[in-house]
Amino acid sequence: MKEYKTDREWVLLQEGPIELEPIVQFVQVPEAGAIDLFVGTTRRWTDGRETVDLYYEAFEEMAVKEIAGLFAETSRKWPVARQVVVHRLGRVAVGEASVVIAVSSAHRNEAFQACRFLIDELKKRVPIWKKERYADDETEWVEGTLPPIPES
Amino acid sequence: MIGLENQAVDGRTRLKVLVFSLLREKLNADELNLEYEKPLTGHELLDDLSKQYPAMAPYRPIIRIAVNQRYSAEHAILKDGDEVALITPVSGG
Repeated sequence: MKEYKTDREWVLLQEGPIELEPIVQFVQVPEAGAIDLFVGTTRRWTDGRETVDLYYEAFEEMAVKEIAGLFAETSRKWPVARQVVVHRLGRVAVGEASVVIAVSSAHRNEAFQACRFLIDELKKRVPIWKKERYADDETEWVEGTLPPIPES
Repeated sequence: MIGLENQAVDGRTRLKVLVFSLLREKLNADELNLEYEKPLTGHELLDDLSKQYPAMAPYRPIIRIAVNQRYSAEHAILKDGDEVALITPVSGG
């Protein structure tokens, strides 16, 4: 399963460019007074080294579940109206969006906080990996973050 | 299927182990099907895999396990039929 969708939450792992419009439409509801949109893009330069493209791989079913779990956490912490995470898989050219997160809520502060939480936690524990291909044609799996061990 | 004790009658523990990214390339496989005579912990599984697959040994300290798609502590006991994913540090986003 690469997708999880309810009337309030939407997770999608997809190959090919991400369209922003359907994402914004999904979170744009009358009870919300704010939409926070985060777009993560692939960067050309890292420590002086030039990246040509990136390749993303996921443990897809678990990644979708983990992101849905993050939605449950944001909903406990803040009065979120709607939330979306769309993440790319496969090859992503430099400058393209690799991840888009959208959160709507009645007031902007909650939307900012929930959106920030989602991207920070996604990077820490959702089973997705990226490999950089550099201008010299070398490739390298990006050194990531070891997910936390669950309690108990 | 609810609440079934997943222990096979022969007492053996069959595991499907999933590997991704770096480990997938190092092991040249995305799935390993293993069978043990007794139940074992995640810790014991990782130790055994590091012996069976020397290419994995350097990464042993940076592998988390997810049992049936949930992160688990290494002391968790694995049951017959469990799916165990080996998760190296993640780098999504």
